[in-house]
Amino acid sequence: MSSDGPIYRTKNYPHPQQQQSSQFYQPTTPSPQSQASNAHEGDYTVPNPQSHNGFFSPQTAFYGSSNQATSSIEFLSNNPFLNVGFNVVEQGMKDMTDKTINMLPNQMKKSLSSIKYYFAVDQTYVIKKLCLILFPFRPRNWSIGYNADEPVPPRVDTNAPDYYIPLMSAITYVLVAGLVLGIQNRFTPEQLGMHATSVLIWNIIEILILSITFYIFNIQSKLRILDLIAYCGYKYVGMITALSSYLITDSLFIYRLALLYISISLSYFLVKCLRLQILPDIGGSQPYNTNGNTRRIYLLLFVVLLQPLFIWYLTQHLIIP
Amino acid sequence: MGFTLYNLIEAALLCINAVAILSERFLSKLSGNANINYPNVGGYGVDNQNSGGAKQQLLTLIRSVRTVMRIPLIAFNVVTIMFLILFG
Repeated sequence: MSSDGPIYRTKNYPHPQQQQSSQFYQPTTPSPQSQASNAHEGDYTVPNPQSHNGFFSPQTAFYGSSNQATSSIEFLSNNPFLNVGFNVVEQGMKDMTDKTINMLPNQMKKSLSSIKYYFAVDQTYVIKKLCLILFPFRPRNWSIGYNADEPVPPRVDTNAPDYYIPLMSAITYVLVAGLVLGIQNRFTPEQLGMHATSVLIWNIIEILILSITFYIFNIQSKLRILDLIAYCGYKYVGMITALSSYLITDSLFIYRLALLYISISLSYFLVKCLRLQILPDIGGSQPYNTNGNTRRIYLLLFVVLLQPLFIWYLTQHLIIP
Repeated sequence: MGFTLYNLIEAALLCINAVAILSERFLSKLSGNANINYPNVGGYGVDNQNSGGAKQQLLTLIRSVRTVMRIPLIAFNVVTIMFLILFG
Protein backbone atom coordinates (compact mmCIF):
# COMPACT_ATOMS: atom_id res chain seq x y z
CA MET A 1 0.00 0.00 0.00
CA SER A 2 1.53 3.25 -1.07
CA SER A 3 2.20 5.83 1.53
CA ASP A 4 2.01 9.04 -0.47
CA GLY A 5 -1.21 10.37 0.85
CA PRO A 6 -1.26 13.97 -0.29
CA ILE A 7 -0.41 13.12 -3.88
CA TYR A 8 -3.66 11.31 -4.32
CA ARG A 9 -5.76 14.21 -3.22
CA THR A 10 -6.87 15.00 -6.71
CA LYS A 11 -7.02 11.45 -7.95
CA ASN A 12 -9.13 9.86 -5.31
CA TYR A 13 -12.28 11.90 -5.49
CA PRO A 14 -14.11 9.94 -8.24
CA HIS A 15 -13.93 6.64 -6.41
CA PRO A 16 -17.28 6.22 -4.69
CA GLN A 17 -16.31 3.36 -2.42
CA GLN A 18 -13.72 5.42 -0.69
CA GLN A 19 -15.91 8.33 0.10
CA GLN A 20 -17.04 6.49 3.16
CA SER A 21 -13.70 6.95 4.83
CA SER A 22 -13.49 9.47 7.58
CA GLN A 23 -13.12 13.04 6.65
CA PHE A 24 -9.94 13.43 8.58
CA TYR A 25 -7.62 11.75 6.16
CA GLN A 26 -7.34 11.52 2.47
CA PRO A 27 -8.32 8.11 1.15
CA THR A 28 -5.53 6.26 -0.58
CA THR A 29 -6.15 4.29 -3.74
CA PRO A 30 -5.70 0.56 -3.97
CA SER A 31 -2.55 -0.70 -5.64
CA PRO A 32 -3.73 -1.05 -9.28
CA GLN A 33 -3.99 2.70 -9.43
CA SER A 34 -0.53 3.38 -8.12
CA GLN A 35 1.08 3.22 -11.53
CA ALA A 36 -1.26 5.77 -12.98
CA SER A 37 -0.70 8.15 -10.14
CA ASN A 38 3.06 7.94 -10.26
CA ALA A 39 2.98 9.95 -13.40
CA HIS A 40 1.25 12.77 -11.63
CA GLU A 41 3.75 13.51 -8.98
CA GLY A 42 3.92 16.98 -10.29
CA ASP A 43 0.44 17.58 -9.00
CA TYR A 44 1.80 17.86 -5.53
CA THR A 45 2.79 21.40 -6.25
CA VAL A 46 -0.74 22.36 -7.27
CA PRO A 47 -1.92 25.02 -4.83
CA ASN A 48 -4.70 24.31 -2.43
CA PRO A 49 -7.72 26.01 -4.07
CA GLN A 50 -7.58 23.76 -7.07
CA SER A 51 -7.26 20.62 -5.04
CA HIS A 52 -10.17 21.64 -2.88
CA ASN A 53 -12.46 21.60 -5.90
CA GLY A 54 -12.05 17.88 -6.07
CA PHE A 55 -13.37 17.24 -2.60
CA PHE A 56 -16.86 16.12 -1.87
CA SER A 57 -18.99 18.41 0.21
CA PRO A 58 -18.43 17.16 3.79
CA GLN A 59 -14.80 18.03 3.50
CA THR A 60 -15.43 21.45 2.07
CA ALA A 61 -17.94 22.01 4.80
CA PHE A 62 -15.41 20.90 7.34
CA TYR A 63 -12.61 23.01 6.07
CA GLY A 64 -14.84 25.97 5.38
CA SER A 65 -14.43 28.30 2.45
CA SER A 66 -10.86 29.17 3.41
CA ASN A 67 -7.97 27.07 2.30
CA GLN A 68 -6.31 27.06 5.67
CA ALA A 69 -6.79 24.02 7.76
CA THR A 70 -5.38 24.27 11.24
CA SER A 71 -1.92 22.93 11.56
CA SER A 72 -2.94 19.93 13.64
CA ILE A 73 -5.51 18.80 11.11
CA GLU A 74 -3.05 19.28 8.30
CA PHE A 75 -0.64 17.17 10.26
CA LEU A 76 -3.27 14.51 10.63
CA SER A 77 -4.26 14.56 6.99
CA ASN A 78 -0.79 14.96 5.58
CA ASN A 79 0.84 12.33 7.67
CA PRO A 80 1.23 9.37 5.36
CA PHE A 81 1.87 6.88 8.10
CA LEU A 82 -1.43 7.69 9.72
CA ASN A 83 -3.13 6.90 6.43
CA VAL A 84 -1.38 3.57 6.29
CA GLY A 85 -2.26 2.84 9.88
CA PHE A 86 -5.91 3.71 9.40
CA ASN A 87 -6.18 1.63 6.28
CA VAL A 88 -4.52 -1.37 7.83
CA VAL A 89 -6.77 -1.23 10.87
CA GLU A 90 -9.88 -0.81 8.74
CA GLN A 91 -8.88 -3.69 6.52
CA GLY A 92 -8.07 -5.89 9.49
CA MET A 93 -11.38 -5.24 11.19
CA LYS A 94 -13.30 -5.93 8.05
CA ASP A 95 -11.41 -9.18 7.59
CA MET A 96 -12.07 -10.26 11.14
CA THR A 97 -15.80 -9.63 10.99
CA ASP A 98 -16.07 -11.26 7.60
CA LYS A 99 -14.21 -14.30 8.79
CA THR A 100 -16.35 -14.70 11.90
CA ILE A 101 -19.54 -14.26 9.95
CA ASN A 102 -18.47 -16.77 7.35
CA MET A 103 -17.49 -19.27 9.97
CA LEU A 104 -21.06 -19.49 11.25
CA PRO A 105 -23.33 -22.16 9.80
CA ASN A 106 -25.93 -21.15 7.30
CA GLN A 107 -28.86 -20.98 9.66
CA MET A 108 -27.14 -18.51 11.91
CA LYS A 109 -26.30 -16.33 8.94
CA LYS A 110 -29.95 -16.15 8.09
CA SER A 111 -30.94 -15.30 11.63
CA LEU A 112 -28.21 -12.66 11.78
CA SER A 113 -29.67 -10.93 8.77
CA SER A 114 -33.17 -11.23 10.15
CA ILE A 115 -32.04 -9.69 13.41
CA LYS A 116 -30.45 -6.88 11.43
CA TYR A 117 -33.94 -6.09 10.18
CA TYR A 118 -35.01 -5.21 13.69
CA PHE A 119 -32.21 -2.73 14.19
CA ALA A 120 -32.96 -0.71 11.07
CA VAL A 121 -34.40 2.23 12.95
CA ASP A 122 -33.94 5.94 12.86
CA GLN A 123 -34.73 8.78 15.19
CA THR A 124 -38.18 9.69 13.98
CA TYR A 125 -39.24 6.08 14.34
CA VAL A 126 -37.95 5.88 17.91
CA ILE A 127 -39.67 9.09 18.95
CA LYS A 128 -42.94 8.10 17.34
CA LYS A 129 -42.86 4.67 18.88
CA LEU A 130 -42.11 5.99 22.35
CA CYS A 131 -44.99 8.46 22.13
CA LEU A 132 -47.15 5.63 20.90
CA ILE A 133 -46.30 3.39 23.85
CA LEU A 134 -47.03 6.16 26.31
CA PHE A 135 -50.18 7.41 24.61
CA PRO A 136 -51.72 4.95 22.17
CA PHE A 137 -55.26 6.22 22.43
CA ARG A 138 -55.51 8.30 19.30
CA PRO A 139 -57.36 6.69 16.42
CA ARG A 140 -54.87 5.48 13.86
CA ASN A 141 -54.08 2.69 11.50
CA TRP A 142 -52.28 -0.17 13.18
CA SER A 143 -51.59 -2.45 10.26
CA ILE A 144 -48.06 -3.38 9.36
CA GLY A 145 -46.87 -2.53 5.89
CA TYR A 146 -45.64 -5.34 3.72
CA ASN A 147 -43.39 -5.11 0.73
CA ALA A 148 -43.68 -8.14 -1.54
CA ASP A 149 -44.57 -10.46 1.31
CA GLU A 150 -41.76 -9.21 3.47
CA PRO A 151 -42.41 -6.92 6.40
CA VAL A 152 -41.14 -3.43 5.83
CA PRO A 153 -38.20 -2.36 8.04
CA PRO A 154 -39.07 -0.19 11.02
CA ARG A 155 -37.45 2.83 9.48
CA VAL A 156 -40.27 3.05 7.00
CA ASP A 157 -43.25 1.81 8.95
CA THR A 158 -44.01 3.00 12.46
CA ASN A 159 -46.03 -0.07 13.30
CA ALA A 160 -43.25 -2.56 12.79
CA PRO A 161 -41.58 -4.08 15.85
CA ASP A 162 -37.93 -3.37 16.51
CA TYR A 163 -35.22 -4.38 18.94
CA TYR A 164 -33.62 -1.04 19.54
CA ILE A 165 -36.23 0.31 21.95
CA PRO A 166 -36.48 -2.87 24.07
CA LEU A 167 -32.71 -3.22 24.29
CA MET A 168 -32.07 0.39 25.22
CA SER A 169 -34.94 0.55 27.65
CA ALA A 170 -33.84 -2.66 29.35
CA ILE A 171 -30.38 -1.20 29.88
CA THR A 172 -31.89 2.08 31.07
CA TYR A 173 -34.09 0.17 33.47
CA VAL A 174 -31.03 -1.44 35.05
CA LEU A 175 -29.45 1.99 35.46
CA VAL A 176 -32.60 3.59 36.85
CA ALA A 177 -33.01 0.69 39.29
CA GLY A 178 -29.46 1.36 40.44
CA LEU A 179 -30.37 5.01 40.89
CA VAL A 180 -33.42 4.19 42.98
CA LEU A 181 -31.41 1.81 45.12
CA GLY A 182 -28.74 4.43 45.54
CA ILE A 183 -31.20 6.99 46.80
CA GLN A 184 -32.38 4.51 49.37
CA ASN A 185 -28.78 3.78 50.34
CA ARG A 186 -29.17 0.20 49.32
CA PHE A 187 -26.80 0.27 46.41
CA THR A 188 -23.85 -1.99 45.86
CA PRO A 189 -22.26 -2.60 42.44
CA GLU A 190 -23.39 -6.21 42.49
CA GLN A 191 -26.97 -5.00 42.37
CA LEU A 192 -26.44 -3.71 38.86
CA GLY A 193 -25.25 -7.08 37.66
CA MET A 194 -28.06 -8.83 39.50
CA HIS A 195 -30.66 -6.61 37.94
CA ALA A 196 -29.23 -7.12 34.48
CA THR A 197 -29.23 -10.87 34.98
CA SER A 198 -32.76 -10.92 36.26
CA VAL A 199 -33.95 -8.80 33.31
CA LEU A 200 -32.40 -11.33 30.97
CA ILE A 201 -33.78 -14.30 32.85
CA TRP A 202 -37.31 -12.97 33.14
CA ASN A 203 -37.27 -12.20 29.45
CA ILE A 204 -36.19 -15.73 28.66
CA ILE A 205 -38.83 -17.21 30.96
CA GLU A 206 -41.56 -15.05 29.47
CA ILE A 207 -40.64 -15.88 25.89
CA LEU A 208 -40.41 -19.57 26.73
CA ILE A 209 -43.83 -19.62 28.39
CA LEU A 210 -45.40 -17.73 25.51
CA SER A 211 -43.78 -19.90 22.85
CA ILE A 212 -44.84 -23.11 24.58
CA THR A 213 -48.36 -21.75 24.95
CA PHE A 214 -48.46 -20.85 21.28
CA TYR A 215 -47.27 -24.32 20.37
CA ILE A 216 -49.60 -26.21 22.67
CA PHE A 217 -52.66 -24.37 21.50
CA ASN A 218 -51.60 -24.99 17.95
CA ILE A 219 -52.10 -21.48 16.78
CA GLN A 220 -50.82 -20.69 13.33
CA SER A 221 -50.24 -16.99 13.26
CA LYS A 222 -48.08 -14.54 11.45
CA LEU A 223 -46.33 -13.71 14.66
CA ARG A 224 -42.79 -14.99 14.70
CA ILE A 225 -40.85 -15.62 17.89
CA LEU A 226 -38.53 -12.74 17.04
CA ASP A 227 -41.51 -10.39 16.84
CA LEU A 228 -42.75 -11.68 20.17
CA ILE A 229 -39.41 -10.90 21.77
CA ALA A 230 -39.73 -7.33 20.53
CA TYR A 231 -43.29 -6.90 21.77
CA CYS A 232 -42.40 -8.29 25.17
CA GLY A 233 -39.59 -5.82 25.41
CA TYR A 234 -41.77 -2.75 25.22
CA LYS A 235 -42.76 -3.03 28.85
CA TYR A 236 -39.39 -1.72 29.97
CA VAL A 237 -40.37 1.71 28.71
CA GLY A 238 -43.32 1.63 31.09
CA MET A 239 -41.16 0.43 33.94
CA ILE A 240 -38.76 3.28 33.40
CA THR A 241 -41.50 5.89 33.46
CA ALA A 242 -43.08 4.43 36.60
CA LEU A 243 -39.72 4.31 38.37
CA SER A 244 -38.80 7.81 37.23
CA SER A 245 -42.09 9.16 38.48
CA TYR A 246 -41.33 7.59 41.84
CA LEU A 247 -37.84 9.04 41.79
CA ILE A 248 -38.96 12.53 40.93
CA THR A 249 -41.88 12.88 43.26
CA ASP A 250 -40.98 10.30 45.94
CA SER A 251 -44.63 9.68 46.64
CA LEU A 252 -46.18 6.24 46.62
CA PHE A 253 -49.46 7.56 45.28
CA ILE A 254 -47.88 8.98 42.13
CA TYR A 255 -46.00 5.74 41.62
CA ARG A 256 -49.16 3.67 41.85
CA LEU A 257 -50.95 6.08 39.53
CA ALA A 258 -48.14 5.89 37.00
CA LEU A 259 -48.16 2.09 37.26
CA LEU A 260 -51.88 2.00 36.58
CA TYR A 261 -51.64 4.33 33.62
CA ILE A 262 -48.70 2.44 32.17
CA SER A 263 -50.51 -0.85 32.50
CA ILE A 264 -53.58 0.48 30.75
CA SER A 265 -51.72 2.14 27.92
CA LEU A 266 -49.33 -0.77 27.39
CA SER A 267 -52.22 -3.23 27.32
CA TYR A 268 -54.09 -1.07 24.83
CA PHE A 269 -50.99 -0.72 22.70
CA LEU A 270 -50.28 -4.43 22.68
CA VAL A 271 -53.86 -5.40 21.97
CA LYS A 272 -53.94 -3.07 19.00
CA CYS A 273 -50.58 -4.28 17.71
CA LEU A 274 -51.10 -7.99 18.19
CA ARG A 275 -54.74 -8.11 17.23
CA LEU A 276 -53.92 -8.02 13.57
CA GLN A 277 -51.30 -10.71 13.89
CA ILE A 278 -52.78 -13.28 16.21
CA LEU A 279 -56.46 -13.11 15.42
CA PRO A 280 -57.44 -14.55 12.07
CA ASP A 281 -58.39 -12.49 9.06
CA ILE A 282 -61.96 -11.42 8.70
CA GLY A 283 -62.42 -13.20 5.39
CA GLY A 284 -60.72 -16.29 6.78
CA SER A 285 -60.86 -19.63 5.08
CA GLN A 286 -61.13 -21.64 8.24
CA PRO A 287 -64.79 -22.27 8.86
CA TYR A 288 -64.24 -25.16 11.23
CA ASN A 289 -61.86 -23.33 13.45
CA THR A 290 -64.27 -21.60 15.78
CA ASN A 291 -62.36 -23.16 18.64
CA GLY A 292 -59.22 -21.57 17.33
CA ASN A 293 -60.72 -18.11 17.47
CA THR A 294 -61.61 -18.34 21.11
CA ARG A 295 -58.23 -19.74 21.90
CA ARG A 296 -56.54 -16.97 20.02
CA ILE A 297 -58.46 -14.33 21.90
CA TYR A 298 -57.56 -15.94 25.19
CA LEU A 299 -53.95 -16.15 24.16
CA LEU A 300 -53.91 -12.50 23.19
CA LEU A 301 -55.41 -11.58 26.53
CA PHE A 302 -52.87 -13.74 28.27
CA VAL A 303 -49.98 -12.05 26.53
CA VAL A 304 -51.38 -8.66 27.26
CA LEU A 305 -52.13 -9.33 30.90
CA LEU A 306 -48.74 -10.83 31.52
CA GLN A 307 -47.03 -7.53 30.87
CA PRO A 308 -48.53 -5.41 33.67
CA LEU A 309 -47.95 -8.31 36.02
CA PHE A 310 -44.29 -8.31 35.14
CA ILE A 311 -44.07 -4.57 35.43
CA TRP A 312 -45.54 -4.63 38.88
CA TYR A 313 -43.45 -7.56 40.02
CA LEU A 314 -40.17 -6.26 38.71
CA THR A 315 -40.54 -2.82 40.25
CA GLN A 316 -42.04 -3.93 43.52
CA HIS A 317 -38.81 -4.70 45.28
CA LEU A 318 -37.40 -1.29 44.54
CA ILE A 319 -40.15 0.62 46.25
CA ILE A 320 -40.33 0.70 49.97
CA PRO A 321 -43.23 2.61 51.52
CA MET B 1 -35.25 -11.23 43.05
CA GLY B 2 -31.94 -12.95 43.50
CA PHE B 3 -32.15 -14.82 40.24
CA THR B 4 -28.94 -15.91 38.72
CA LEU B 5 -28.30 -17.64 35.45
CA TYR B 6 -27.45 -20.75 37.36
CA ASN B 7 -30.92 -20.78 38.93
CA LEU B 8 -32.46 -20.72 35.50
CA ILE B 9 -30.31 -23.59 34.29
CA GLU B 10 -31.09 -25.60 37.39
CA ALA B 11 -34.84 -25.01 37.04
CA ALA B 12 -34.77 -26.00 33.38
CA LEU B 13 -32.80 -29.14 34.18
CA LEU B 14 -35.25 -30.16 36.88
CA CYS B 15 -38.23 -29.57 34.58
CA ILE B 16 -36.74 -31.66 31.81
CA ASN B 17 -35.90 -34.36 34.31
CA ALA B 18 -39.53 -34.37 35.42
CA VAL B 19 -40.67 -34.73 31.82
CA ALA B 20 -38.25 -37.58 31.23
CA ILE B 21 -39.38 -39.51 34.26
CA LEU B 22 -43.02 -39.77 33.20
CA SER B 23 -43.88 -43.38 32.52
CA GLU B 24 -44.96 -44.44 29.09
CA ARG B 25 -48.01 -46.28 30.36
CA PHE B 26 -49.32 -43.15 32.01
CA LEU B 27 -48.86 -41.19 28.82
CA SER B 28 -50.62 -43.73 26.66
CA LYS B 29 -53.45 -43.85 29.16
CA LEU B 30 -53.75 -40.07 28.91
CA SER B 31 -53.76 -39.95 25.16
CA GLY B 32 -56.62 -42.42 25.05
CA ASN B 33 -55.36 -44.60 22.20
CA ALA B 34 -56.31 -48.22 22.14
CA ASN B 35 -53.14 -49.71 20.73
CA ILE B 36 -49.70 -48.47 21.68
CA ASN B 37 -47.93 -50.66 19.15
CA TYR B 38 -49.03 -48.73 16.11
CA PRO B 39 -46.90 -45.68 15.30
CA ASN B 40 -49.68 -43.44 14.02
CA VAL B 41 -52.02 -43.03 16.91
CA GLY B 42 -53.51 -40.03 18.55
CA GLY B 43 -53.63 -37.07 16.27
CA TYR B 44 -51.30 -38.02 13.47
CA GLY B 45 -53.97 -39.00 11.02
CA VAL B 46 -55.93 -35.80 11.35
CA ASP B 47 -55.36 -32.87 9.02
CA ASN B 48 -52.75 -30.37 9.98
CA GLN B 49 -54.91 -27.39 10.75
CA ASN B 50 -56.66 -28.77 13.75
CA SER B 51 -54.57 -31.82 14.61
CA GLY B 52 -55.83 -33.05 17.87
CA GLY B 53 -56.18 -30.00 20.01
CA ALA B 54 -54.25 -28.96 23.08
CA LYS B 55 -53.95 -32.38 24.67
CA GLN B 56 -52.46 -34.02 21.60
CA GLN B 57 -50.03 -31.18 21.11
CA LEU B 58 -48.92 -31.43 24.69
CA LEU B 59 -48.43 -35.17 24.42
CA THR B 60 -46.54 -34.76 21.18
CA LEU B 61 -44.33 -32.20 22.83
CA ILE B 62 -43.66 -34.47 25.80
CA ARG B 63 -42.89 -37.45 23.61
CA SER B 64 -40.50 -35.49 21.40
CA VAL B 65 -38.71 -33.97 24.38
CA ARG B 66 -38.25 -37.42 25.86
CA THR B 67 -36.92 -38.87 22.64
CA VAL B 68 -34.48 -36.07 22.05
CA MET B 69 -33.23 -35.39 25.54
CA ARG B 70 -32.83 -38.93 26.85
CA ILE B 71 -29.11 -39.26 26.31
CA PRO B 72 -27.97 -35.65 26.76
CA LEU B 73 -29.90 -35.53 30.01
CA ILE B 74 -27.65 -38.15 31.49
CA ALA B 75 -24.63 -36.05 30.67
CA PHE B 76 -26.21 -32.82 31.99
CA ASN B 77 -27.23 -34.45 35.21
CA VAL B 78 -23.81 -35.94 35.84
CA VAL B 79 -22.12 -32.61 35.15
CA THR B 80 -24.53 -30.73 37.43
CA ILE B 81 -24.08 -33.22 40.23
CA MET B 82 -20.31 -32.92 39.97
CA PHE B 83 -20.52 -29.12 40.03
CA LEU B 84 -22.75 -29.22 43.07
CA ILE B 85 -20.45 -31.58 44.89
CA LEU B 86 -17.35 -29.57 44.09
CA PHE B 87 -18.64 -26.05 44.48
CA GLY B 88 -21.57 -26.40 46.85
